[in-house]
Amino acid sequence: MPIILENVSFSYSKKTPLETSALREINLRIEKGEFVGILGEKGAGKSTLTKLFNGIFKPETGIVRVDGLDPSSREAKRKIGMVFQQAADQLFCKTVYEEIAFGPLNFGYSKKETEQRVYEAIEAVSLDQTELSRDPFSLSGGEMQRVALASALALRPDYLVLDEPITGLDPIGKNDILKTLNRIKEKGTAVITVTHNLKGFFPLLEKIVLLREGRIAFQGSRESYLKKGFEPLPPIASMMKELGVRGLPVNLTVFTVEDALEEIMKLKSILGTDNNENK
Amino acid sequence: MIRLEKVSYSYPDGTPALENLNLVIKKGEFIGIIGKNGSGKSTLALQLSGLLKPQAGRVMIRGMDTRDPSKLPEIRKFVGIVFQNPETQFVGRTVEEDLAFGPENLCFSPMEIRKCVDMALAETGLEKYRHRSPKTLSGGQGQCSALAGVLAMRPECLIFDEVTSMLDPESGISVMEIIKKLHRKGKTIVYITHNLEELHDADRIIVMEKGKVMLEGEPKSIFSDISLKTLGFDLPSLIELAETLKTHGVIIPWEKTASPQSFAEEICQLFLKT
Repeated sequence: MPIILENVSFSYSKKTPLETSALREINLRIEKGEFVGILGEKGAGKSTLTKLFNGIFKPETGIVRVDGLDPSSREAKRKIGMVFQQAADQLFCKTVYEEIAFGPLNFGYSKKETEQRVYEAIEAVSLDQTELSRDPFSLSGGEMQRVALASALALRPDYLVLDEPITGLDPIGKNDILKTLNRIKEKGTAVITVTHNLKGFFPLLEKIVLLREGRIAFQGSRESYLKKGFEPLPPIASMMKELGVRGLPVNLTVFTVEDALEEIMKLKSILGTDNNENK
Repeated sequence: MIRLEKVSYSYPDGTPALENLNLVIKKGEFIGIIGKNGSGKSTLALQLSGLLKPQAGRVMIRGMDTRDPSKLPEIRKFVGIVFQNPETQFVGRTVEEDLAFGPENLCFSPMEIRKCVDMALAETGLEKYRHRSPKTLSGGQGQCSALAGVLAMRPECLIFDEVTSMLDPESGISVMEIIKKLHRKGKTIVYITHNLEELHDADRIIVMEKGKVMLEGEPKSIFSDISLKTLGFDLPSLIELAETLKTHGVIIPWEKTASPQSFAEEICQLFLKT
């Protein structure tokens, strides 16, 4: 069963002079086990969209369903884990353990069951057991992000929704979180993330949803996104597109350094021979 | 202009943040500082601005020792610092009031304050937001406002501690443009970041590791240093591609690695020449 949005629109400050339309006619389907990137410029409606998934916002028109359920229902909330950009904003307990245990206890799981889930969650995000007694606010940015992630995972969600989960982290912290997210996805949880960090996320994304001024400009596989020349792009893909624009026969689906090297060497052997003869 | 001599500093819990650090920052330089979380970058920024004092060694800011309390007002005028999260730096109800706070504290005359505020608003393109509450600004505008608050004190030297890391790329680029413009006007810039792409045009890059300077040099030489990768840094993709191409006999000059456009242009030049 998927997350389904049918003809969804949403405005802020409805029926006030400040009313602003954030999303228009959104039709979207996200299956379990997918790794989805929600892309678009600031103000395109990315964060608003994620808040419709778990019922924080209710659509003005249209329908949102999570496995057939109303997203604001308790049952649906258990299925969706949310992690926001600034992890510190969603931490509130005195110890890391209490923080991660909060969700399961709140949903009425026994102490024993909760404990098991806490240990499972910290393993998934590679947090050490010794961290459990620490004050979450004494942690580094990357560690806080992992605690927020673990709290979401403790409910064993089917969908993990993230808003810019790696901004502000150092390169090691970033790669760590990316690996963790990929592992979570491999285990069958859908990972849906808003991101501007294409360099980091692009290799992981299977599906891309591109928002432009509140509407879906593109929705489909990474390959078709690249082939059709949509933007934003990670730097290498952007460079390949520029080569294409200049009339060179290039493979637009290339976005890694290794593949770009191969492509450029191919170009060299096709085009560069004249050049060498002239010399 | 700023000189650190054998500076050491440990956090209250005893963790060393800077160890025996020597560093000279010249007037008008654009220095990039990179390093992992906990490598001492932010502590260094606080030392450079006189907000923290060394426990050993000394920091001299234009001949003034930061340990000398009588020099602090003068140091405050000379060095400004902007942090990652603009919201933590706002004090005024409107942008204008917020900008006036610094020069007021430095006992500028009302005439001077007005002039400084107007200049700072112009330099950051915030004129039209002067009467807004800084808390209602977007992330990018907020960061510009925090920067304007520092500029209003007319400092010679500006320190930026991960100011673009929470911004979307577009806003990040516009903040960076303002900083580059200030540098062209002669301000000394110390720019701390995790995003190496922002340092393509820096005069010098310093790589921090465990409270020490690990590497130091021009961007060109720092980025081609393989030890950077082993230290856990992500090279900008285009620079990595240029480095890999070099081993296959295709040379992309450093300047051309600045953008996908210039890179593609160069490939065309190389391959389509008749």
